[in-house]
Amino acid sequence: MKTSNHISHILHHLSFMAKVCGWATLLIACSSKPSAVPTAFTETTDSLAMYPDYRDVTIPPNIAPLNFQLNDSSATEFVVAFESEVAPKAGFSCGACEDGKIDIDLSLWRQLLYDARGRSLTVSVYAHRPAGWVRYQPFTMRVAEEEIDPYLTYRLIEPGYEYYSQLGIYQRNLTNFDVETVYENDRTFSSDNCHCINCHNFQANDTERMILHVRENHKGTIVTHGNDAYKMIIKHDSILASGAYACWHPTLPLVAFSSNKTAQVFHMNYNEKIEVYDAASDLILFDADNNEVRTILRTSDHFETFPCWSADGTRLYYCTARLPKMPEENFEANLVLRYDSLLYDIYSMPFDTVTYTFGEPQIEINASAQHKSCSVPRVSPDGRYLVFAYASYGQFHLYHKDSDLWCKDLQEGNLYPLTESNSNDVESYHSWSSNSRWQVFSSRRDDGDYTRTYIAYFDAQGQGHRAFLLPQRDPEYNLLLLKSYNCPELTKNAVQVSTEQIRHLIYNTEAELATYKE
Amino acid sequence: MSKRFFRDLWSGYIALLLFFLLMWLWASWWMGDTMRIAYERSYVAPDAMLMHWLWQKPLGWLWILGRILLTTYHWPIIGGLLVAILLTAGSWLFGYCLRLPISWRWLQFLPAGAWLIWTAHVGLNLFYMREPGRILAIPFMWVVVLAILALFIAIYKARHRSYVVLDTPKKELSRRSMLTGDLLEILVIAACFALPMEYLTTRHPYMRPLTCMQVQLLNNDYEGMSRTAHKYAKLSYHQMAGYYAIALARTGHLADQLFDIRLEYDTIRAYDYGNQPVQCLHYHQIDCNYHAGLIRAARHRATEELTLDGPSLYILKMLAKISLVEGDWELTRKYLHIIGKAPFEGAFVRKYKPMIGRPDLVQADPEFAAILRVLPPYHTFEQFYLRPSFVGFYAQLKTFRNEEQLTWAAMACLYSKRMPEFLQLCRRFVGSMPPRSIAEALLIQSYKDPSILQAFPQLEMLQSRFDLFVQDAQPYMQDREAGATALFDKYHGYYPYYYIFGNLRSSRKEESKEEGTGHRNAGIN
Repeated sequence: MKTSNHISHILHHLSFMAKVCGWATLLIACSSKPSAVPTAFTETTDSLAMYPDYRDVTIPPNIAPLNFQLNDSSATEFVVAFESEVAPKAGFSCGACEDGKIDIDLSLWRQLLYDARGRSLTVSVYAHRPAGWVRYQPFTMRVAEEEIDPYLTYRLIEPGYEYYSQLGIYQRNLTNFDVETVYENDRTFSSDNCHCINCHNFQANDTERMILHVRENHKGTIVTHGNDAYKMIIKHDSILASGAYACWHPTLPLVAFSSNKTAQVFHMNYNEKIEVYDAASDLILFDADNNEVRTILRTSDHFETFPCWSADGTRLYYCTARLPKMPEENFEANLVLRYDSLLYDIYSMPFDTVTYTFGEPQIEINASAQHKSCSVPRVSPDGRYLVFAYASYGQFHLYHKDSDLWCKDLQEGNLYPLTESNSNDVESYHSWSSNSRWQVFSSRRDDGDYTRTYIAYFDAQGQGHRAFLLPQRDPEYNLLLLKSYNCPELTKNAVQVSTEQIRHLIYNTEAELATYKE
Repeated sequence: MSKRFFRDLWSGYIALLLFFLLMWLWASWWMGDTMRIAYERSYVAPDAMLMHWLWQKPLGWLWILGRILLTTYHWPIIGGLLVAILLTAGSWLFGYCLRLPISWRWLQFLPAGAWLIWTAHVGLNLFYMREPGRILAIPFMWVVVLAILALFIAIYKARHRSYVVLDTPKKELSRRSMLTGDLLEILVIAACFALPMEYLTTRHPYMRPLTCMQVQLLNNDYEGMSRTAHKYAKLSYHQMAGYYAIALARTGHLADQLFDIRLEYDTIRAYDYGNQPVQCLHYHQIDCNYHAGLIRAARHRATEELTLDGPSLYILKMLAKISLVEGDWELTRKYLHIIGKAPFEGAFVRKYKPMIGRPDLVQADPEFAAILRVLPPYHTFEQFYLRPSFVGFYAQLKTFRNEEQLTWAAMACLYSKRMPEFLQLCRRFVGSMPPRSIAEALLIQSYKDPSILQAFPQLEMLQSRFDLFVQDAQPYMQDREAGATALFDKYHGYYPYYYIFGNLRSSRKEESKEEGTGHRNAGIN
């Protein structure tokens, strides 16, 4: 036994040395070669182990190749055949790398999706086992007619509790695997310079206008307009705190912000790990052209958060919760103990786009009546649907395992879950494609801890389809990534300001204080 | 064989051989545990994506190289061999490049000596809150640079016969200067071995026992941890006390041995990310929380360290084990997948992978079974308890899963001298003889509340020692620090001694400072 352990150690050592020697070659990704489909094979009913699972999903016709990894310990080789249902059948096949990874050729993939637009693809996986080739049960992917907005902007951050280190906002081209850095903070520690960046937001899926926040050192809100950018501090004695969750008006140079006093507590023995709550929250409006800020809603007995404009900009949706009755002494401690009694409804207020005034709030979704709570309302760009995160309590559903995406048909008034798109774990922060047919959202369905970006088709009947993981060139990427995807936002075009411009603003420009308007 | 032959042999090889052997001894025996923990606090894998975070940092490639070399410390004897080879080769090359005369050849060992002193000087910052890849990257690069230089010199020398060598011809050296040179060489070699040892012991006396206990914990050698703590009982550092408490909890001796070691907490010389002095109070808290059943608090801190320092084997293994205990199977699979990418960690993966999706196997594992026994008995928030959590939580615990948890709670109260809470807990001991320290504490309290003696009549047996202690303690009541030192040998392990003379320095200030060592309050994600 000891000898075999010793041999095993030596083998491990040798394997490591081989790995070290091949370090440079390992930096180069394996590329699947075109491979002939086996002519002789037997069908197998074995379950296909693939990651990510792209079976039976609806995909955009302009999406990057859906590379995946196959796992069959008895197989020495894999061949995957993609066929569209057009006549004559078009398609191609490719072999897997040694580790079962399928790296699909971009041009072949594009041609295939072009041919299959509005139809289905059939994917057949063949595995070479000692007894010969077997074929798994083929699966399909439906290629939608409608394209997804080609750019996805997101933040990558470790799922830390209180601390942060290196983090950044990046932009992925969804039609291929290109990633551009929008902004990254420092890679090494500097007590004078460390800063956090968050909550990027765009106007109507267009990067013409963008904002993002900088906190701690060099703090401020970066506001961009085309190629121009400036830094603001949206703060005033009459405002609770700096602007937090933001939403650009679809046409006017206005941003609705929530202003939150946010804190978090850590469960010691509970299904959830963290509870993020607001000790207070109001709504404010920032006029980007005039650098003015004013209060939209400030109440003492309610919390208001997550503002969202309607598609035509004439209505503002937001979440609101009634402060539970409790003693005023030790307010925060008492509030924490009642964390599960904070139930957020969705309200809306009419907005006059000429006078910039708001009308009377009206309830849109009375979740508290069902002992439920809403968060992150987002109206589809066609104005028809309101999709939001729905869970048992609170507003930070990213930490609530029962959080699902729900939809309200604003025309018909009916309310329903997006069952096909949801999972058993968290679904939260979501963003619409400008044509209202695609949604990207945050989900923790992979492992419960690391947030990943999922894409789901949203059909004209208002139904969400089965979601799929944001494709990566290396399908193992998400298994190895120790950061979470945060605030995914779809846009029609690439961010127009450069990383250097933003860096220069953050480091070298004094933030201008916004004027408060009564 | 002439004297000249032995002389040349000595100056050429024997000195280097002696240096090599002493360095091997230093690096594998003296620093073996420390370097092993440095290895655990590091992570390297032949995967570009996994190492990207380090690669993109300034000199990232060098730190990756250093981490690769550090993996040899999976077996300290191999790691020590590598260090000895690097230092010896570096010293020889340094001497070669400078063309040192025999009488000055002792100089060749000085750069290696400087590196050795540096490793002793930085203490925990050798790997904690600092890049562990530095440790071996520095000597490695030193050797590489010298080797390139030596190659150029050799080529130059071969091409230019008129090359002016600084070496004094051997025949011209006087016997006296040769002897002086030899003596100096021996002295420098001995100093390279002894001085770093002495410096480390003086400047960071906790380093070796602390890392020794950590290695023992890796091997689940709780008895060994306890022995190490007793051996260094007069050293008092939060970190050592924490690991000692783990050992006692695991061996069931928490209630009768906790106060055996000095609990006064001396200052550690270490610096945080911003080069501010820090007491490294978080260093041991992940292990302490984990073994105290506070796995959420352990996960909390482990996640913070993952964020601040990047992945390390220690953190990834801890997160994998916590995920297993919590039944987060996919998360466990993720961490094991990443750990499995690192060289030499196959055994860890093979041990824990079969437990995924098998709560029966998790419960059957002795380490996990011990933790599952003491999980928090009710829902609460981490913030509601005193820090550190593993003391604070237990000091305020009011309901218990079992007797073990009750004893821990009582001991946490005794440690933090929270006597009202302690007395509340002691009601549960009525009718039986409580464990030693608890009985001693009850005896103290019986002076305030005589009814305690009625509830615990057995305490009278402890009266005579207590009277003796009161007599001995009397002269020191105005100068407790002096009393702590004077009475330690006689009364260590005796709770009244700890109550009066133990843990006098408040660590509250240090703890609050400790919390400000990173980029905070951005992690709501």
